[in-house]
Amino acid sequence: MHWPSFFFLLFGGFACLFAVAVVLASNIVRMAFYLVLSLAATSGLFFLAGADFVGAMQLMIYVGGTMVLLVFGVMLTSQSPFVSMRTSSGQMLTALVLGGTLLFVLSFTAFHVPAWQPTHRPAVDPNTPLLTATPIGMALEGYRVDQLDQPDPRIRQGMSGYLFPFIIISVHLLVVLVGAAYLARAKRRST
Amino acid sequence: MDLQTWLPLLLGLAWLLPLASFAIVSIGGSLPQIQGHHASYRSQKIAGVVASAACGASFLLSLLAMAIWLTNHPLGAEHPGGHPGTAHAPPHYSGDFYSLASFGDLHLAIGYYIDTLTVTMFCMVTLIATCVHVYSWGYMHEELADVVDNEVATRDGKALHRPGRYHRFFQYLSLFTFSMLGVVIAGNLAMVFVFWELVGICSYFLIGFYIERPSATNAANKAFIVNRVGDFGMLIGLMTLWSSLGTLHFDQIFPQLAEPASAGGLSYPLLVVAGIGLFCGCIGKSAQFPLHTWLPDAMEGPTPVSALVHSATMVAAGVYLVGRCYPIFVPEVLLVIAVVGAITLAMAATIAITAVDIKRVLAYSTISQLGYMMLSLGLGGWVAGLFHLITHAFFKSLLFLCSGSVIHAVHTNDLREMGGLRKKMPWTAYTMLVGCLAIIGAGVPAWGIGFSGFFSKDAILEQAWSFAGANPAPVYGLLLWVPVAGAMLTALYMFRLWYLTFAGEPRNADRYAHAHESPLSMIAPLVLLATLAVSIGWVWPFSELSVTSLLEQARPAGTQETVQGEWLSSLTIPDEHLSHAPEIQVPAGWTTFSAAMGGLLLATMTYLWKWLRAEEIRQSFRPIHSFLWNQWWFDELYDWTLVKPTLWLSRFFASIDHWLIDPLVHGITHVSRLVARLLDSLLDRRAIDGSLHTLADQTWNTGLSLRQLQSGSLRQYVLFLVAGTLGLFAVASLYWKFAVAG
Amino acid sequence: MNFLLANLLSEPVGVAHYMVVGAVLFTCGIVCMATKRNALGVLMGVELVLNGANINLIAMGSPYLQGENATLGLDGQLMALFVIVLAAAEAAVLLAITLNFYNSAGSVDIDQADQLRG
Repeated sequence: MHWPSFFFLLFGGFACLFAVAVVLASNIVRMAFYLVLSLAATSGLFFLAGADFVGAMQLMIYVGGTMVLLVFGVMLTSQSPFVSMRTSSGQMLTALVLGGTLLFVLSFTAFHVPAWQPTHRPAVDPNTPLLTATPIGMALEGYRVDQLDQPDPRIRQGMSGYLFPFIIISVHLLVVLVGAAYLARAKRRST
Repeated sequence: MDLQTWLPLLLGLAWLLPLASFAIVSIGGSLPQIQGHHASYRSQKIAGVVASAACGASFLLSLLAMAIWLTNHPLGAEHPGGHPGTAHAPPHYSGDFYSLASFGDLHLAIGYYIDTLTVTMFCMVTLIATCVHVYSWGYMHEELADVVDNEVATRDGKALHRPGRYHRFFQYLSLFTFSMLGVVIAGNLAMVFVFWELVGICSYFLIGFYIERPSATNAANKAFIVNRVGDFGMLIGLMTLWSSLGTLHFDQIFPQLAEPASAGGLSYPLLVVAGIGLFCGCIGKSAQFPLHTWLPDAMEGPTPVSALVHSATMVAAGVYLVGRCYPIFVPEVLLVIAVVGAITLAMAATIAITAVDIKRVLAYSTISQLGYMMLSLGLGGWVAGLFHLITHAFFKSLLFLCSGSVIHAVHTNDLREMGGLRKKMPWTAYTMLVGCLAIIGAGVPAWGIGFSGFFSKDAILEQAWSFAGANPAPVYGLLLWVPVAGAMLTALYMFRLWYLTFAGEPRNADRYAHAHESPLSMIAPLVLLATLAVSIGWVWPFSELSVTSLLEQARPAGTQETVQGEWLSSLTIPDEHLSHAPEIQVPAGWTTFSAAMGGLLLATMTYLWKWLRAEEIRQSFRPIHSFLWNQWWFDELYDWTLVKPTLWLSRFFASIDHWLIDPLVHGITHVSRLVARLLDSLLDRRAIDGSLHTLADQTWNTGLSLRQLQSGSLRQYVLFLVAGTLGLFAVASLYWKFAVAG
Repeated sequence: MNFLLANLLSEPVGVAHYMVVGAVLFTCGIVCMATKRNALGVLMGVELVLNGANINLIAMGSPYLQGENATLGLDGQLMALFVIVLAAAEAAVLLAITLNFYNSAGSVDIDQADQLRG
């Protein structure tokens, strides 16, 4: 038994299973619940791939934050929590056929790129623990500690990290918060 | 035991017994008519028993021949022509029963060519014919007494009364069995052609059995005429072969073909002509793509006929002939065969989804499965194609007999009036379920067990996979993905049929109330055929005996190797044995399995669980539905391109008389007035005004049709995005294939 | 493709396996977007699509799965991080729009939001 593969199968299976459940469920509250489970299982996949910080962020921001937002949305908008709106079967069928084709194309491609196959030798022994929080923090502040031994001087020059995108994202978030608050504010009746 | 004497004797007897029964029944049935009264109930009954007994005896003789063959040629011990490059013929026995005439070089004879293919076909045809005969005792019993045909009105508006024709039915069935066995045993192409036409005429009689119904006579005429088109091509093929080889005997043709052109063989272009010509005949008989329109109409005949003639044996004769004449076909011709097969299977499968007549669904399914066989033969899968022919014969005759049992119970062909019959007629329902599972190829690839269709369809898909691997050009890849999609459609329409007939609630309470299980003489053949539909693909326990190993012994010389096309040098027909490699077998098996399960799931979702509503789907895809509902408008197309122009032409000639004289008499005044008016209407109204109006209208219409795209529906936009992405992917991969990778 | 199923428990997994999981999530999201009439259902579809993409980014950046030269390294994880943050922002905006729509139309059925129809 190869334990990483076993856990991959477990988390990947749960992620896919609950994603399908989201599609099949017709009740919006159940959909939200399945989505939480799917996202949580995805964070398990992130941990498994050695991305501990991103996995933690996934759990905190997505599962914690975004889902709370969603549930608020459900509570604020639903006339009754079990209202279901049927889609016409024609659109269902089109979506299923197109989706099936897309899935086929994507999986087919994934298994035809040699570098992505499991036979490819990994860069790091799977038993080595990886800690990514510090390098990510440094990268956001402008230092790429993971690329210090970069031999190519031209690439080293451009190593300002992700400081600029980080600032843009921060401003972006601020704008979004203000904008969302403005959009969602209670309507004043103008008579 | 001397096979050279015993095999022709046994099979010849098996072949002639139905002829004897035909003679007895037709003479015995005609005698009372000469005396001025109709055949009695008792004598008609006896006719049925005589015909069935003759058929059963033929089956026993064929089995005996098979046993004798197997004791003399143990399976697996010899692989004829196993060394690539040597044109070593498979074990066979050939000769002439009776020499008809000799005209110079042309030697016409009633001959035989017997190998395992012949023996296997004999067993299959006689067994199914026996089952159908027995089944007909029950199905045709109404014909024993005087019949009231409600579908035909006489001049005074009442339903037609006519005497029963029970014995006629068995007479035609016997003649058909005889003719079909003649095609199978034939030792030369001339004899094949004679019996080929004989099965055609039997099919004509049987389709038009209810001769008083206009639909039946039209269908019979259509079948006969459409088949002549194909036979014309076949005659060309035969003449090409005869004029260049000087013989039509199989045992003389095949060795000559192995020789180079200078030493008496055919030159390459002539081989192509001969191959395409022969295949034209098979297109007509096996209802392939351009000439398939007759088969659905042929369902006007009684259901046992559809089971025996129009699904299991006669339509398979085309496939059989392609298999028999396989050495004649060069790679380019094989490609044509494969392409025709692929088009046929896709087209027929799509039409079967919308058909509501239970027999028409099965008819289109037959066309589709015949397409699979042709495709397989064309891709080099000789054993796979003929194996599917054998398995298909069993499960398709089972399906037809089951549908006959249903029609017998509810007296309608319309699927929309059935439903819920599972409780009323359990034997029919579950034997038909077995047939459905067999035709979709249900089985578990990992364990290698399944219904008979599982093995044969897998073999075909493996060969297609192997072909796609040998020919990397993406166009050839279509020959793999079309059958895979076809497997999915097969599962979809077969289970649609089953759910609509047997599952759910009865949609017509009146018909449901009168439904009943069929009598024993109809159930017994169903059970026997269901058993065979499950197990005919299996290997006999503790031996090597299986249909594939039998066919393997008859594999024609020269098919063991991978061949290249001479004109299309990039075309490779791979050796069939290469397709048994695990790196082909495993992915091909799983692909087929998942395609079939996908179709099954879709059918279950729509017709059993009703998650998707068929009515809504029909509404939203109205253009596609009407395209399929009208069978791709083939009948209309032929009507407009062939029938109507002929009529117009004759009307034109008829009116010449009228129009040549009048203008001369009424003379020039009319002409000058006409010219003036013509100029006005043509130049001013049509040309100038018309062009401006057209331009304006076109712009307007374009705007209107583009407006439809802006539906404002968010979800539709998402689908457009996905479709666009997939389209881009397809374009990019084709560009990569052709422009970058070369 | 048989190794996809055959030895999955005894062999290490590769980027391709992560990508298949990503593809399933992505497709589910697309189908969700295309079939749900509830605006919040569409929003959940978007979240699923973004997650599918994220799985691919993480898999490409993981040194456990790929060789030294082929891997995106930390860049993959940083991009995934940005996607998560932007997804949160997008969710907030979309919710605000939905609330607004609900206030004006009295329903969250996006089939009613077709005023821009041509």
